[in-house]
Amino acid sequence: MLNIVVGIKWVPNTTLVNIDPRTGTLIREGISSIVNPHDLVAVEMALRLKNEYGGTVTVITMSPPSAIAGLEHVIGMGADRGILVSDRAFAGADTLATSYALAKTMERLDYNLIVFGQETIDSSTAHIGAQVASWLKIPYIYYVTEARYIEDRNIIRVKRALENAYETYELELPALISVAMHSLNPRRVSIYNKLRVKLESPIETWSNEILGLEKNCIGLKGSPTALAKIEMIPKVLRKNEVFKGNDVKKAARWLVKKLLEEGLIEI
Amino acid sequence: MAREEATGGGPDRDLMILIGLEVILMICSEWPEIKLDEYKGVWVGALVEEGEINEASLQLIGAAKELADKLGTYIGVALVGYKIKELAEELIYYGADKVFVVDDEKLAIYYPSTYGMAIRKLAEKYKPEVLLIPATLKGREMAPYIANMFRTGITADLTSMDIDPKSKEVVLIRPPFGGYMLAHIVTKTRRPVMGSVRPNIFSTPQRDEKRKGEIVKEEVDVPEPKGIRLVGRIPIKKKEEIPIEKAEIIVSGGKGLGSEDGFKLLKELADLLGGVIAGSRKVVDAGWIDHNHQVGQTGKAVKPNVYFAVAISGAAQHVFGIREARRVIAINIDPNAPIFESADYGIVGNYKEVIPAIIEVIKEMKQKRKTGS
Ligand SMILES: Cc1cc2nc3c(=O)[nH]c(=O)nc-3n(C[C@H](O)[C@H](O)[C@H](O)COP(=O)(O)OP(=O)(O)OC[C@H]3O[C@@H](n4cnc5c(N)ncnc54)[C@H](O)[C@@H]3O)c2cc1C
Ligand SMILES: Nc1ncnc2c1ncn2[C@@H]1O[C@H](COP(=O)(O)O)[C@@H](O)[C@H]1O
Repeated sequence: MLNIVVGIKWVPNTTLVNIDPRTGTLIREGISSIVNPHDLVAVEMALRLKNEYGGTVTVITMSPPSAIAGLEHVIGMGADRGILVSDRAFAGADTLATSYALAKTMERLDYNLIVFGQETIDSSTAHIGAQVASWLKIPYIYYVTEARYIEDRNIIRVKRALENAYETYELELPALISVAMHSLNPRRVSIYNKLRVKLESPIETWSNEILGLEKNCIGLKGSPTALAKIEMIPKVLRKNEVFKGNDVKKAARWLVKKLLEEGLIEI
Repeated sequence: MAREEATGGGPDRDLMILIGLEVILMICSEWPEIKLDEYKGVWVGALVEEGEINEASLQLIGAAKELADKLGTYIGVALVGYKIKELAEELIYYGADKVFVVDDEKLAIYYPSTYGMAIRKLAEKYKPEVLLIPATLKGREMAPYIANMFRTGITADLTSMDIDPKSKEVVLIRPPFGGYMLAHIVTKTRRPVMGSVRPNIFSTPQRDEKRKGEIVKEEVDVPEPKGIRLVGRIPIKKKEEIPIEKAEIIVSGGKGLGSEDGFKLLKELADLLGGVIAGSRKVVDAGWIDHNHQVGQTGKAVKPNVYFAVAISGAAQHVFGIREARRVIAINIDPNAPIFESADYGIVGNYKEVIPAIIEVIKEMKQKRKTGS
């Protein structure tokens, strides 16, 4: 049986984040949040493993309470249990402190497989998986595209692709894998399931009262890195010449001529 | 407000620090204590692929130089693997002052945990102040693991480094939300200061066979891989295709192509000019093109002579990847698309008409040249 824990993150829908290109300022109003799309791929893989081999899928996220909507979405996809790890004391965590709190949460769960997304779209660090594996002292591997459970040997056999090779690994359970970002298409949630989950609102919230972690190990205090300052990136100056008129043939000639004159292309 | 919120790192945390929450210098009792001033040197963890040091590692040696000079310290390289001793000299030619080598049969196969541990043990012994890891896929897999063993922080995908003139702290710089701003990140309480760097953010330094340096052969206690085994490996035959970061001409497509088919047209233009195709994150997310063709902050930085941005809106995260392009050409149906502000030459129009027109013009010219007129 596979008792799978999936880590998801509730992230601003960054494809919608608008930044005024003229002033370079962030337009934050009206940005909705979504489940990190790469984590939906992880959930999909977990659900398929559960369907094939039996077991459970528990989804956890460390986040402010607004992430409950994300956990509900994933339960609508078919996950069995959702845990929100949330406490003011966790606020301001860098990846070390985030992974610590997540690992300590995992320790309290009866899992034999942890599945993560490849990276988050808001911070894109791909740190948390390796860090959680390090805290839990379990084997891990990234960029997994396929996974099979071989129950009698208590292993999971996974495939992955690197820049220059396809590889197959066997990991003894418990283990952690992170799933390559486009390896599967996450299923949609039916309206019926959406409503059902809303009505049942099955999400548990775990605060640090439950976890009992030392204050110096979590949140801002447990984070070795700190932001010293933010600066705007100076814009690269470009010529900004736009062809005037609607004749595409003329436009094409204009462009090719410019590039030839500057010696940038060869014909 | 942000202070109320628990978060998993990222934007909220950054905001909190900006609004002035002090970072308190007390450490978690589960962390080993360290003396900050014992840590000296700027190190690079070199990665060996198919018997060769990967280029990203060489680029990091170049990047480390400026930092090491400012700190008045040396550049060290951790070289771990099996049958890799001969490569140490090479690292010196590219700028390393000292190469620390662990050549161990147990490292004949790569595992993130054993390679990570070998680098960690070296760094634990020699105590570098800074440890940089190339963010290839393996590097990204291994770097946070190493950082965790030191209970230190790590900055992903940094794009530059500096020393704070006053505090003398090492500052690692990365674009957090995308290409609009740069976050300066310091590591106050822990060492080494760690960062990962994507390939081609820095250029490869000059190779100089006259350079001298020291090679330190080390034997560290490399662990057996625990609970993990490589059972199959099929090398991917390198297509003869030029990687986008080395291409001189790039024809790049965005979501406005409408479908994967749009790339056929772009490929035709690219072939005609001896270039390659690339894309925005949206087309990668849509599965129209492979991730190693993605240009931008979370893709690759490119430096072609000409970059055609076709049906790409020009989001800052995208434009961030083309800062080094000599000329940027925008082709977009929307005259107000931000890409025009980041372009040298622009044509407003449907790419389905504009690209064929450009192809035609080039073909005509080629024809003329051939017939000698
Ligand atoms: C942390 C973070 C990192 C990111 N990293 C990257 C990154 O590395 N690379 C990246 O690209 N993005 C990145 N993004 C995403 C980025 O913000 C944009 O969402 C993305 O670049 C937009 O892709 P696009 O221009 O292809 O699509 P869109 O923004 O949808 O633009 C499509 C464009 O096509 C034009 N168009 C439509 N039809 C036609 C036609 N027939 N002919 C001509 N033009 C047409 C439209 O006018 C429009 O301008 C990142 C975002 C975040 C938050
Ligand atoms: N706050 C979080 N709570 C739970 N899981 C997380 C959290 N942040 C990141 N993860 C998991 O770790 C993966 C890598 O995230 P990151 O290191 O932020 O790129 C994500 O795809 C998630 O699966």
